[in-house]
Amino acid sequence: MTAAIATLVIGVILGYLGQRSRMCFVGGIRDFMLVRDTYLVKGLIAFGLSAWLAFPLVGLLVGVRPGPFGGSDAVTVVLTILGGFGVGYVSVLANGCPLRQHVLAAQGVRSSIAYLAGFFGGAVIFHVWTAPLLFSLLP
Amino acid sequence: METIVTRPAAAISKRAGAVRVTAVQMGTVSGILAVTAGAFFEVRPPDAYGVCMACHGRDLVNWTINALGGTHLTVAPASLVFPVLTPIGVLLGALLGAATTGEFRWWTPESSFKAFVYGLLVMNFALLAGGCSIRLLLRTAAGEALGMIGFAGMVAGVILGTVWLRWRATR
Repeated sequence: MTAAIATLVIGVILGYLGQRSRMCFVGGIRDFMLVRDTYLVKGLIAFGLSAWLAFPLVGLLVGVRPGPFGGSDAVTVVLTILGGFGVGYVSVLANGCPLRQHVLAAQGVRSSIAYLAGFFGGAVIFHVWTAPLLFSLLP
Repeated sequence: METIVTRPAAAISKRAGAVRVTAVQMGTVSGILAVTAGAFFEVRPPDAYGVCMACHGRDLVNWTINALGGTHLTVAPASLVFPVLTPIGVLLGALLGAATTGEFRWWTPESSFKAFVYGLLVMNFALLAGGCSIRLLLRTAAGEALGMIGFAGMVAGVILGTVWLRWRATR
C-alpha cells in the first residue's frame, strides 16, 4: 500500500513537471543530433547525475545499497541489448519516450492515447505470447 | 517530421505567466524521487525500480487482470499485494499541468494505428530489456552492468532511429 500511494504521488509530480518541461528521455539525443539543441539532453544528464549521487547518499541513510546484481549469461545480455535498442529506435519513431507519451495523452493527443492502448495491451501480450515464445526458442 | 519540436526552449519561453520548469529541473527532481521511492517507500524489489513507465504500467495492467480474472500474469514483487500507480499519477499530473495552463487540446498529429503498433512494440522491447528509457538510466546510475548494457543499446537505437528519420526527411 505504501508503494501504491508513494508512486501515485510521485507520478503526479513527474506528470506535472513533465508537462511543464516537455521532458523526454529519448528526445534529448534526437534533438541534439538533428538541430544541436541541448535543452532535453541536459535533462537526461541531470536525471542520471542526480540518481547517481542520490543512490549512495540514500544508502548511507538507510544502510541499503543496490546490491550486487545477479550474474547474467550471454543470452540475457543479447536480449537486453536488443530490448534497449528496440526501445530507443521505436520511441524515436513514435516521437517520444513512454513518459512523454503519457504526458501527451493527458494533453489530448489522440495518437498518444492509441499509443498507450498498444502499450498496456503490449504488457499482456509480452507475458502471454512474447516471453513464452522466446523461452521456447532459446536454450 | 512537423511534430518534432525543434526548439523546445523557445516554445517554453513564449508561454508567459505559466509555471516554468526546465528539463534540468525536471530531470534532477525525478532522479531524486526515483531513488527515494525505492529506498523509503517500498517500491522494491527489484532494485532501482522507483520510476519505470513500462514496468509499472505492466504491473498495474497485469495486477488488475489477475484480480479480476483470477489469472497469474507476471508482476514485479513490489506490486504483488497492491500495484504501483505511476501511470495513473503521471496522467493525472500531466492533465493538471495541461488544464491549469490551457494547453489541453484534442488533436491527432499522426496515424493512431501506427501509434498503437509503436506502443505495443516499445512495451515488448522495454520488458525484454527490463525497463523503459527512464529505468534503464536509473539502473545505469545504480551501477548495474545489465542496465548499462541496455542503456547503451537504447542510445544506439535512438541514434539509428534519428539517422533514419533524417534520411527519410531529406531523401
